[in-house]
This record gives sequence, C-alpha cells and structure tokens, in this order.
Amino acid sequence: MKSILKRLKNKNFFSYCSFWIIIFLYFLAIMADFISPYPYNKQFRDYPLCPPTRIHFFDHNKNFHLRPFVYEIKLVNPALNQYEIVKEKICPIYFFVKGEKRKILGIFNSERYLFGTKEGKIFLFGTDMHGRDIFSRILYGARISLSIGIIGVSISFFFGFLIGGISGYFGGKIDNILMRLVEIFMMFPAFYLMLSLRAVFPLNLSSFQIYLLIVIILSLIGWAGLARIIRGMVLSIKEEEYVLAARALGVSTFKIIFKHIIPNTFSYSITAITLSIPGYILGESTLSLLGLGIQEPYPSWGNMLSVCIGNLRVLSSAPWMLTPGFFIFLTIICFNFLGDGLRDVLDPKNW
Amino acid sequence: MFLTQKTGKMEKILTVKNIFVGNEEIKILRNINFEVRKKEIVSIVGESGCGKSMTLRAIIKLLPKNLKILNGEIFFENLKITEYNEMEKIRGKRIGMIFQEPSSYLNPLFTIGNQIEEGIKENIGKKEKKEKIVKILKEIGLSPDVYYSYPHQLSGGMQQRAMIAMALINNPDLLLADEPTTALDVTTASGIIKLLKDLVSIYNLSIIFVTHDISLAKYISDKIIVMYAGIIVEKGNSEQVYNNPLHPYTQKLINCLPEKYSKRERIKTIEGEVPSFKNLPYGCPFSTRCEYKKRICEEKIPGEIVIENRIVRCFKYGNIVES
Repeated sequence: MKSILKRLKNKNFFSYCSFWIIIFLYFLAIMADFISPYPYNKQFRDYPLCPPTRIHFFDHNKNFHLRPFVYEIKLVNPALNQYEIVKEKICPIYFFVKGEKRKILGIFNSERYLFGTKEGKIFLFGTDMHGRDIFSRILYGARISLSIGIIGVSISFFFGFLIGGISGYFGGKIDNILMRLVEIFMMFPAFYLMLSLRAVFPLNLSSFQIYLLIVIILSLIGWAGLARIIRGMVLSIKEEEYVLAARALGVSTFKIIFKHIIPNTFSYSITAITLSIPGYILGESTLSLLGLGIQEPYPSWGNMLSVCIGNLRVLSSAPWMLTPGFFIFLTIICFNFLGDGLRDVLDPKNW
Repeated sequence: MFLTQKTGKMEKILTVKNIFVGNEEIKILRNINFEVRKKEIVSIVGESGCGKSMTLRAIIKLLPKNLKILNGEIFFENLKITEYNEMEKIRGKRIGMIFQEPSSYLNPLFTIGNQIEEGIKENIGKKEKKEKIVKILKEIGLSPDVYYSYPHQLSGGMQQRAMIAMALINNPDLLLADEPTTALDVTTASGIIKLLKDLVSIYNLSIIFVTHDISLAKYISDKIIVMYAGIIVEKGNSEQVYNNPLHPYTQKLINCLPEKYSKRERIKTIEGEVPSFKNLPYGCPFSTRCEYKKRICEEKIPGEIVIENRIVRCFKYGNIVES
C-alpha cells in the first residue's frame, strides 16, 4: 500500500493529490457532526439566502486581530434578501466552541464543535432559502453522496466478479445463460431503467429506505457491464500460459482462480472501480435532483442542487447555492485522476 | 536393453505403452511407446506439429480440452497415471515441467520467489520456504536477489532458470522440458543445456527433452526418439541414431543440419510439409515425402522393427505391418 502511494507520487502527482483530496473529503463526511458548526436541519429564519460570511483579520479601522473574526450581519431588505455588515460588532472565531447538543458519530454527545462564533453567525458557504447553513449541509450531504459510490460499487463489483467469473471460467451453457441475462440488463438505457425502477416503489419511504433503494437501483444497473468485461478477461486469462504452468506445477484449481486469474483482472478492475464511483455519485444526484432521491430535510449534494433548478432568482442572486455542484465536480474529477494514476501504477510492467 | 548394458541403470521411472491421443475426428498421437529410466535424458525430436509437446502433456495429463488419451497406459514408477485422478499430487512434486517461452509461462504480477513458493508442497514455515528457494536459486545459477524480482525484470535465460527452479523445488524424479532453449540465444541456451545435464546427477533426475535440433539432442541425451506426424519413426541410443540414422526421415533431418554443409553449398531441406492431423495419409505418414516410397507405404502403416538395438518403423527394413 505504501509503495503504491509512493509510486503514485512519483509517477502521477495529480492523481496522488487526488487521492489525498478524496481521503480528506471522506474524513469531512465522517466527522461532519463535529466539524459542521450547525446541524443540517437548523433553520435561521432571519438569515435566508445569506451570502457567505467573510473572515477578517483587519477590522475597518485597519487594526490587526490575531484571532480571525466575522462581522455580525443584518437583514436589511427581506424582500430582496439584502444584508448589511454591522461594523461595530466583531465576532471572533473560536475553536472548540460551545453549541447545540449533538451526537457525534452516533456514539457520544458533545456540545463543542471544531469552530464557531460565540455571537453572530458564521456561514462559510452562505445559507439556503430556509436559512440553513450550506457548509454544514454539504458535510452531511457528503455522507450520502460519498458512501453511495463506495457501497454501490462494492455491490455491483461483487456481482460482476461472481457472475463474470463463473461464466468465464466454466463457459458453455452457464456462460450462455448468464450472458443473455446480462444483455437484458444492458439493453435498457440506464437512465430510464433507473427512473422506472424508482417509480415502482412508493414515494413516502423513510430516508434510510430511500437510501438503500437508490444504492440497490444503481448497482443493479452497474453490475451487468462489469460482469461482461470480467468474463472476457477470465476467458482470456485462463488460457494464458502461466495458468498452464501453474497447473503443471500442481497448483490447485482454487488457488489458480484466486491467485492467477482474479489478480490479473485487477489492473483493469481497480481502475474501473475508481472510474465508476463518479457514476454512482451522479446517479444519486440525478435521482435527488428529480425529487426521487433523498428527501428534505436530509441533505445530499444532489437534492441541494435540485432546489436551484427552476429558480432563476437563486441562480442570479445567490450563486453560493451551487457549491454542492462544485463538490460533485471535485469528487468526480479526483476519482477520475486517481483511477488514471492507479491504472499506470498497478501494472508491474511499469515499475 | 542396450542402455542397461551400457550404463547399468535399470530402474524404469516412466513407461508409456501404446498411447493414442486425440478425439473422434483426429488422432494426434498413435501408438507411442517408450520408457525412461532413472538419471536418463531422453530426447524427442521432430518438426513442428509432430506431436512432441502433446506427448509431454499427455504424460502430465494437461492436454487441451478437446483432446484426451484414447487408449494405452502410462506408468510412472508403479502408478498408473492414465487412471489416476489426483494429478495435483504428482504434478510439480514428482514430475516437473518447463516450457518453451519462459516469459509467458511466468505470471507477470508476482515475484519469482512468490511463484516458486506456491509450488512447494511440503508443509513448512515461511522462513524455511524462503531458505529453500534461495538455496535452489543459487544452485540454478541465479543470485538470491531474483527472489524479489518480477519476471519482466529478468532476461530470457534468467527466466528459464527461474522456471527450472520452480520445476525442481520439490525434487521431482522426472523433468519434462518442452523446447526449453528454443526461445533463447545460443550462449544462454548452452548455459541452460549444461545446467540441465548437471542437474541430472545432483537431483537424481530423469529428463524428457523435446527439441527440434537433432544435434542438440545427440549432445544432451542418452536416447533419441524421432517422431513424425504422431508416431515414433525411430528410437534408440543417441550416438547410433545420429551417426547412422535408419529411417529416411531421420536421415533427412540430419541432412538439414547446417554444419554438414560447406559455405557455398545450398542447405537441403525436406520437401513438402508435415501432413495435418485432419488429413493424414492412409499408410505410412512419411510416404508423402519419402524417396524410398514403395507401394506398401501408401497402403499400410509400418510396424516396429528392431535393428541393432534400435527400433525403426519403415518398410525399407522389412514388411512388418502395424497390428
């Protein structure tokens, strides 16, 4: 693992950075309870569509403050959501500040959070129409958007390896039946299959049920193409001469499959895994965007974006509402870079 | 017979009796008969497509899926391989095998040490396994660092040595060498040949050596088997076969060797091609290319004739027909 990272660093610095960005994003998602200054459903009725708060070191008299601070903000025009800074009121930012009681990681209660202000409000990415802090919601939304990729990919890779491996290794009738099944799944356009599968189920499910449903739908769509590729690879690898040599060496069939055949598909499949995670993130976003995914007040990057759609006023006057889109973009591009880099690094011929 | 007299080595290690390999449509091997004794090197010589590699793969029972042993028996010591179903216990442990193109017979994803290790059948700890591998690598003429190398980091000769180490890790009694030097350059090849010859006495090994090159076969082996289109046409002591070939095919093979010609002379080749297995001549398979062809050659397959401790299948030496 360490040597892979080292090689990644030397070979493709971009993808090395992407790796750490992805780790950082996952860390943010896991620690969302602690890092986010407010709960995801906390509504500040006095601050709808508030722009991102600026963090200052110098006050308006050009005095330097060692502790960064924000000014208090005041809504001056509720109709147009215009805000004004109250220059007299300086609210320094503290670490481990006291806030509302929350459960961290679902285990222990805490009143203190990574950062915050004692008076005034800090909205790093602004607020949405209900006055909810977008930064906090992005952190909570990351939990759904980022985990859906990993879980969905693992489910569909499990089935891909299983079905593809079986039909490739045994061939014949089994291969024929399984591959026709795969073709049925591949025949439908993925997007419409996704929509119609979602339409089969009722809309009033709990958010956890919806989450599971989305994961299942997405991996149901994803496994077929993968199974086909794995089958092709197994078909060709089992004819490789080193498999014959291993058999001549008396290695058991089980060991041959797991040591010689499966690892030789990794150069492709690990890349495919990293490259297909964005598809799952986008799939969830698409469903949420259309109102079929995670329901309010639970945030996911997709349903946070969906609020902006069809609301031109938001797009023109409150562009900070689009920050979840930036995070989707960042995650996808990082996974793509990582996949590219891994493909080069995992091939021993390049070492 | 002759060999026992010459070297005094009696014990048979492998006996191949009337083996037929093929399927409903084609017969790749017909009536193959030979035996290998302890510490003996037997060469199988012939052109491409004569069934040499198939003979080896029949012995270790790794035939391609569409072929099987139709008839006959193979005994390894006293074990009847043709009716034995747990070949995993024999392969690698008692019979090792090395191949023509070492680079494609090594898994590119794992280090040499890792690949040799998976062949070890003994139940010993990781450390002992490693010691054992390093010891064999030294004996084979490789540096212990090769343990951590990946196949592509080695040269062809080193890869072939690593393959030999893999095949010999369990001290097998028989090594099947399927043209191990064909893909190598001359100097590397002679290194490998010398190594194989040395290994015979170190490991008490018998080798079946498949090659195209009859002069190499004469150099390395005690006994030469000449195959043509799935049958053994001549078999005997290597000196005798090389110096005084009886079968027209062996004669022509030896006549093709470049060292028999002076600089300006044109090297003779054997006209025609090995008949394909789907389209074998009715009688003697060599009859299509043979200059001594008689009428009987096209009608019957010759049987085994013993001349000067040698076996030859040709109607030139008597009208014995295959039963």
